[in-house]
This record gives sequence, C-alpha cells and structure tokens, in this order.
Amino acid sequence: MTERKRFEEIVACFVELKDTSELMMDLAYSSLMLNSRELAEEVQRLEEYVDKLHTDFELLALTSDFKKEEASGFLGLIRLGVATEKIADAAAEMAEVVLRGIEPHPVLKLAIKEAEETVTQACVTDNSPLINKTLKEARVHEETGMWVLAIKRGEKSLRPKPDTKIELGDVLIASGYAEGVEALKKLASPQYQCNLE
Amino acid sequence: MPHFEKIEYQPIPVRELLLEMKNLSELMIDLAYSAALFNDKDLAEDVLALESRVDTLAYLLDMEIMVAARDPKDAEALIGVSIVAAATDKISDAAGDIAAIVTRNIGVHPIVGEIFEKVEERLMQATVKENSKIVGKKIGALELAARMGVDIIAIRRNKDWIINPDENERVFLGDVLITRGAPIGITAFKNLAEGQPAKLEEPT
Repeated sequence: MTERKRFEEIVACFVELKDTSELMMDLAYSSLMLNSRELAEEVQRLEEYVDKLHTDFELLALTSDFKKEEASGFLGLIRLGVATEKIADAAAEMAEVVLRGIEPHPVLKLAIKEAEETVTQACVTDNSPLINKTLKEARVHEETGMWVLAIKRGEKSLRPKPDTKIELGDVLIASGYAEGVEALKKLASPQYQCNLE
Repeated sequence: MPHFEKIEYQPIPVRELLLEMKNLSELMIDLAYSAALFNDKDLAEDVLALESRVDTLAYLLDMEIMVAARDPKDAEALIGVSIVAAATDKISDAAGDIAAIVTRNIGVHPIVGEIFEKVEERLMQATVKENSKIVGKKIGALELAARMGVDIIAIRRNKDWIINPDENERVFLGDVLITRGAPIGITAFKNLAEGQPAKLEEPT
C-alpha cells in the first residue's frame, strides 16, 4: 500500500469517529429537549459503535509501519482519537439522564433552545413539498441548514437514511443554527403551524 | 504549574451559565480540531484559554445549583442539570486535550491535515482574496447562517486570532476564516471568500 493510501484509510476512520461523536452530541441534546428515551437509547448504541471505531482507528494507526521520526505525528493522531472518544462519552452521559427517568429540568430545555446550535421539531402538514420525498430528494439541509436527526412517526422515532421517505404527519427532529429553525418550520408546515411543545 | 483563581459565588442564572457552557464547548471542539489539523499554535492557545473559562463557569453553575436546591425534590430535579453541565465541561476538556497536542509540540502527522481538509465536510479554512465580494462587509450583513448554514468561528488577521467574531466585525482582505457548517454551504462560502464565481446572490 502506498503511503498516501495508508493515510487516507486512517483519516477516513478518524472522520467517521469524529462525525459520529458530533451526531451523538446533537442526539443527546435532542433527547434532553424532547425527553425522548428512544433518542437517548440511540446515543447509547452509537457509543458502542464509537468504542469499536476507536479501537479500529488505533489499530490502523499502530500497524501502519511508521518510521521512527514519524512517531510524534502518530502519537498526535492517537491522542486526537482519544479526545474524540471522550466527546462521545460526554454525549452518552447526557443521554443517560433521560434513560434514568429524570425528567429534564425546564432550564435545560431553555438553554438548548436558545443556544447557537439548537434542536427543533417541525411537523409535516398538508401541502408541504417534503411529503413523499426521500430525505435525499428533500434537500432539507441545503434548503434550511438544519440536519434531520430523527423522524417521529406515530409512537416511533426512526433514524432516517437517505432513502427514508417523509410522510404526512411525520415530526422532523433537526439540529442546526438557530437561524434555520423558521425555514425548516415553513418547509414542513407551509399552511399552519403546529405546536409541539 | 498553572495559576488557579479563587472563584466566588455570583448570582448568575443557571440558564445563562449553561447556555454559555454549551456554546463554548461546541465552538471549542471545532477550533481545537482546526488547530490540530492545521497545526496552529496560537489558535490552540486560545482554545486552552476558553477551557479555563468553561472551568470557571462549571464552578459557578454548581454553586448556583447548590443554592437553588432546598429539599430532596429540588435535588432530584436539578441533578440532571448538573450532569449535563459536567458533560459540557468534559467536552471542553476534550477540546483542550486536542489543543495540547499542538501546544506540547507533539503535532499531528502533516499528511493527515492535508487529507482531512479534502474529506472533512464541516470545517474549512478560506483566505479572503482581492476580488471577493465579502471584503469590507460586516459578518452580520452576510447572513451566512440563514443563507448558507455557515458560521465563521474564527478569523486570523495578521498574527492574531479573533475567536467567535460578532456580527459587527468586518472581513478584510487577507483574513483567514475558519468556517463550519453544511458541506455545500462551506464550499460555496470558500468560493465567495476566495473570489471565485459564486452561485450565491448578493445579500439584499
């Protein structure tokens, strides 16, 4: 394997680790804001996935046959992985509050709502252009800057995939900058707003 | 040995403390990864300064919670707040750990930063070029978050970093901007900053 290729593999693994830890933070704050066990459980599942990824990442770095003068750069890489795993741990600790049946204090919901990066929900109502589109086709992120983290459909919360179809009556749980909240609500409920809180 | 200041109780609402801890911890993660992957010592030192700010906030918040709890019921209601605050503190510690990779001269292998910039979709550096439409504009007037889902988290001007610039800050020629946000948005923004033909309309 060429050196370049070797690094590409390590970086790909690291990016997956980093993206997953950040998704976990978003989901953990969502679970607190909505007092949702399902989302909190998803965070715990991802925590296990992160542990596995982290091990894979460390093994990749350690078995990459680096030269003596590269040791410091590889140590830095290992530490980057450790810190990223710590972030995932912190997210899991937040979600644990919900799983222990502690009703999140109103002040938590307020702080999450007012933060620069926030969590919101929007219901998909009549005439929304999102109905019957897959998440990929709906381009919610491009249109509004908000990431759809989960979809509540009836009693269930599902973690959407790019080919998940959005249906009338779905509630979208999304994170992003506060500026995107109104845009998302308009896209999902063009005619009337529904009050979810 | 670092200097530790005595922290005295201050009557600040829990909501405000928590909000600042959440905002700072998230900002710090992005700044720390940028510092490590672009091997920037000054930026890393700024992250460490923010980390000690979050530590102070964590003390103040715990004191506030202790004062607020009058009975077991209050304690049960508030424990979750304390745990979430501790988690944001842990996140900022993790950011500090990442920054320390740079300040302690360990460094991350340089090829990693180069590949990372190609595959990472949420963090990007852009240098403001001469023919860019954003030169001289106020950050607030660009409405980046609303229009592109992009946020400028730091500006390097000459040798200094401006962390989390506010909306009255202007963009100058030669500024290095660290942005985070939606993949399409940050790519569009990089084009805009570097004066390449941008698809985005002028802010109105």
